[in-house]
Amino acid sequence: MPKLTIKDLDAISERVKKTTLLREGAGRAKITVHMGTCGIAAGARVIMSTLMDEFEKQNIKDVILTSSGCAGLCSKEPMATVELKGDAPVKYVDLTPEKIRRILAEHVNGGKIVSDYALAVGSERVS
Amino acid sequence: MNGQNLDRYRLHLMLCAGTACVSNKAFKIKEALDEELKKQGLDKEVIVVMTGCNGFCAVGPVMTVMPDGIFYHSLTKDIIPHLVEEHFLKGRPVKRLLFTPPAERVPIPKMMDIGFFSRQTLISLRNRGLIDPEVIDEYIARDGYKALAKALTEMSTEDIIEEVKKSGLRGRGGAGFPTGLKWELCWNQPGDTKYIICNGDEGDPGAYMDRSIVEADPHSVIEGMLIGARAIGARKGYVYIRAEYPLAMKRLEIALAQARDYGLLGERIFDTDFSFDISIKQGAGAFVCGEETSLIGSIEGRPPEPRQRPPFPVESGLWGKPTVINNVETWATIPVIIDRGSDWFSSIGTPLSKGTKVFSLVGKINNTGLVEVPMGITLKEIIYDIGGGIPKGKKFKAIQTGGPSGGCIPASLINLPVDYEKLTEAGSIMGSGGLIVMDEDTCVVDVAKYFIEFTNDESCGKCASCRDGSTELLEILRRICRGEGKEKDIQILEELSDAIKDASMCGLGQTLPNPVLSTLRYFEDEYIEHIKYKRCSALVCKGIISSACQHICPLSQDVPSYIGLIARGKLEDAIKVVRKENPLPLVCGRVCNTPCEKKCVAGEWDDPISIRLLKRFLADYEMKHDLDTGEKPKSQKKEKVAIVGSGPGGLTCAYYLALEGYKVTIFESQELPGGMLALGIPDFRLPKDVLKYEIDRIKKLGVEIKTNTTVGKDISLAKLKEDYNAVFIAIGAHRGLKMKIPGEEAGGVIDAIEFLRDVNLGRQVKIGDKVIVVGGGNSAIDAARVARRLGRNTKILYRRTRAEMPAIESEVEGAMAEGVEIQFLAAPVKVISGNGQLKAIECIRMELGEIDQSGRRRPVPVEGSEFRLDVDTLILAISQEPDVSLFSGNGLNISKWNTIEVDPETLSTNIKGIFAGGDVVTGPNTVTEAMAHGKTAAQMIDTYIRGEKLERRYEVTRPAVHVEAVELTEQETKSLKRPEVQSRPVEQRLKDFSEVELGFSEADAVLEAKRCLRCDLEAKE
Repeated sequence: MPKLTIKDLDAISERVKKTTLLREGAGRAKITVHMGTCGIAAGARVIMSTLMDEFEKQNIKDVILTSSGCAGLCSKEPMATVELKGDAPVKYVDLTPEKIRRILAEHVNGGKIVSDYALAVGSERVS
Repeated sequence: MNGQNLDRYRLHLMLCAGTACVSNKAFKIKEALDEELKKQGLDKEVIVVMTGCNGFCAVGPVMTVMPDGIFYHSLTKDIIPHLVEEHFLKGRPVKRLLFTPPAERVPIPKMMDIGFFSRQTLISLRNRGLIDPEVIDEYIARDGYKALAKALTEMSTEDIIEEVKKSGLRGRGGAGFPTGLKWELCWNQPGDTKYIICNGDEGDPGAYMDRSIVEADPHSVIEGMLIGARAIGARKGYVYIRAEYPLAMKRLEIALAQARDYGLLGERIFDTDFSFDISIKQGAGAFVCGEETSLIGSIEGRPPEPRQRPPFPVESGLWGKPTVINNVETWATIPVIIDRGSDWFSSIGTPLSKGTKVFSLVGKINNTGLVEVPMGITLKEIIYDIGGGIPKGKKFKAIQTGGPSGGCIPASLINLPVDYEKLTEAGSIMGSGGLIVMDEDTCVVDVAKYFIEFTNDESCGKCASCRDGSTELLEILRRICRGEGKEKDIQILEELSDAIKDASMCGLGQTLPNPVLSTLRYFEDEYIEHIKYKRCSALVCKGIISSACQHICPLSQDVPSYIGLIARGKLEDAIKVVRKENPLPLVCGRVCNTPCEKKCVAGEWDDPISIRLLKRFLADYEMKHDLDTGEKPKSQKKEKVAIVGSGPGGLTCAYYLALEGYKVTIFESQELPGGMLALGIPDFRLPKDVLKYEIDRIKKLGVEIKTNTTVGKDISLAKLKEDYNAVFIAIGAHRGLKMKIPGEEAGGVIDAIEFLRDVNLGRQVKIGDKVIVVGGGNSAIDAARVARRLGRNTKILYRRTRAEMPAIESEVEGAMAEGVEIQFLAAPVKVISGNGQLKAIECIRMELGEIDQSGRRRPVPVEGSEFRLDVDTLILAISQEPDVSLFSGNGLNISKWNTIEVDPETLSTNIKGIFAGGDVVTGPNTVTEAMAHGKTAAQMIDTYIRGEKLERRYEVTRPAVHVEAVELTEQETKSLKRPEVQSRPVEQRLKDFSEVELGFSEADAVLEAKRCLRCDLEAKE
């Protein structure tokens, strides 16, 4: 890897947006499992592996599955954020494998938010 | 938009200028919009306004067109001409840019509608949950390493230091030393070799800010360290992180490797002359390593012990070289300050504490989590708006800030703004940001003990004051928590704490007494309670309470023992245990307000044990079989005692005095004995024959009851004093209070106590068809249920909500089932009458306002919400006070609340030989509190007659007998649940005054008793 120049920062930024941001056409949906220590302790790994299993079983190729750190509200872990192309992200809380399967089926594949498990839509304000 | 007249614009385009949208080129969109609007000649009609973030960052840049509220997302520069022409010129919103609502409208709040998120301001946590921490590109895509580029190419080292100084940033590790000044001091040091250290040795119990930052956003720390290194001229940095944080460590290692790969660490970064690299140093988890000189020692391979400062690390740090050491959160904040400027950063916060602080909010709080808030936010906002308040509606008691080095701040200071200075003034510290919320079930002595256990364990042992001082503190605190505290302990704790602070070398020792000192400062009464009265009102200290139910019972009723005996089928033994502390089990089994059940440990995750109904079952069993439980006077004494009033207080006092062998005469002004039990409680809750059986058992011990004899009228108090060796006054509180509103003297406005008394004595009562009862206590519910039984349309008005209602929950349910309507949050303001007769009342609606210092929301009238209710009879059940008119001439001290003043410990009045207790002393209170007074009075009267010094002896709570626990089968463990109590059906109830609740069957009682967790057995160990 050649050393980065300052100009490269912008180029990387653009590239990342293409691959991780849905509106740039990277996929039809993105699922972020929050995997800080709190999330993992509450069972986030099982949520992640359930999703990976389901992706394989259902041969899902156009949904980005990624992980991130603690989302802040540790008492409601495991948490995941589901974002469909063109929609605001939805945070799901207190997840179990059954719940995330239902979210995959109804929200990611069906376009309908599973309001039973959803905490909120949108993102946090970053000042 | 300053000074612009916004009214003249037809449309406002609210364009989000939050960081996320700005990094998605929101400013370019604004330029394009302005240009295009001008081109189309719309710039006089349409204005672009930059707004704060609305939380839809993921689809930014976003824009809301007001007043229509049309929401556009994912805007790009190229689309603007089309958008302006179509929407703002031709009035046709551009569908493909419109935010597509979810397939079905669902009532899901927006993130910004949720207090937990909306009250936070994210700077250090700017990337939390948004990026993959193991992918450096994702950090870069959110402006990562941009600040480094700026620092390296646009700023001199002086500029960087100046910027950080101007920002007002202070060390987030706890002490709050100005970061810029620290850097400057280091920069001024001679020499070429300097070091940067990131202190990630986060050791406070309940604190995990640093861990979370490193896990979620490791590059933010690396970038901060790079900028710091540039500023002071360091080539090498260390991240000291505890081995207990494996995930943080792993992510940091990945991040360092990726940064090196990109040349962001190493030689000639960004092709400048700046070179820097970072190593990780794993800490073994010693708390003292959070102290900077110990940490440096640990990196150098020496034992982690503090050394004397000065010299400070900026002069002589790692390997004797100038060293800047800051904590994780401080480093993570630096890139944002460089990127956005010190002016922006210092605009957040208070005059001396700038920016935001990350806290881990834990303990007895609904929303546990990591929060970043602007400095100056109040504790109340953190606890209630962000934390969502205390679980299960319990009362907020205190909050520990700053971990074991910090202090305990009480509920009375809930409006305290959180910054370095204010927390120090309150006796605590900011610390690294642990916030532990405590509710009414937290014992502060136990908390202090916990923290001293921690620091005692973690003391490195170098200073005797810290090492041995903490051991001694701990010994004293443990003793207090066992109920073996000594009167001088408080003073010793204080003196020892001061000595430890003065004589210890490092922060660990200097701050370790803080939890003791702050709890002593705000909760000294709780220490005294433990030491002198052997009480732990939070029901925590096992050595004192044995079991919560027994300790909280005013009678110290030995609940686990009698329940254990029921579970073993030994009913007669069980009733004997009950009788030992309680002469009125038939009464208490029916009308007790059960503080025991509210604190029952089984109730933490299941229904609490039905303690009252189990007692009732035993008492009914005893009555049914007319068992002789063997209580007899110990001897026959010649001394005589007069008791004024035959309520629960008087009866209990008479019972225990009779058992001692005294001749007891009770004087009762009414025709029936029992006081409020007979006159205030209706038959359907406490049947007359049941009460008679109870009183007859007391009479059998030789107690004489003279009814229809009013002391002060039929016989004087002076005469009683002359004829008897001692007098106990327990006349209760029977005079109803007025509402103090205009017109309440009208006919048809009556008092609940008088109404209930007349009904109980079988007198005619005159009430109209429409009855309204005002109040929320048991008298209000009783009066309403009586009115329903008399066939009246009945409504209760209560100014708060059901959650605050003092009446017994099951009675409220009973009343509602019987058709009593309860209107919450309403209070009468005026009585409207015609010809002196009540016609209607004017009421006002209330709402729950600010949380008061008790942690409950107080009701406040809603202006302009007056409404009228037609009513024939208005029954006032606000509260009562004692009627002491017949005693006031006797030289007895009477308080301004019309209660008799007594020494709270001995219950003796100002006249020797005259004692008083129950409601006449406390004001309206519970049956068991009155009985407890009766019991104490009996002991004190006995002591007085024997001529001994009047002094109470306090002992820790212990079960009277040892009862083995019953082994449950696996099936039982799974299936046992609180049985439903049998009640008469509603249709039948309204026909007469027969008892509503029918009690447990023997089988149900035994099953329920088996469910008891027998907390008492735990205390034996």
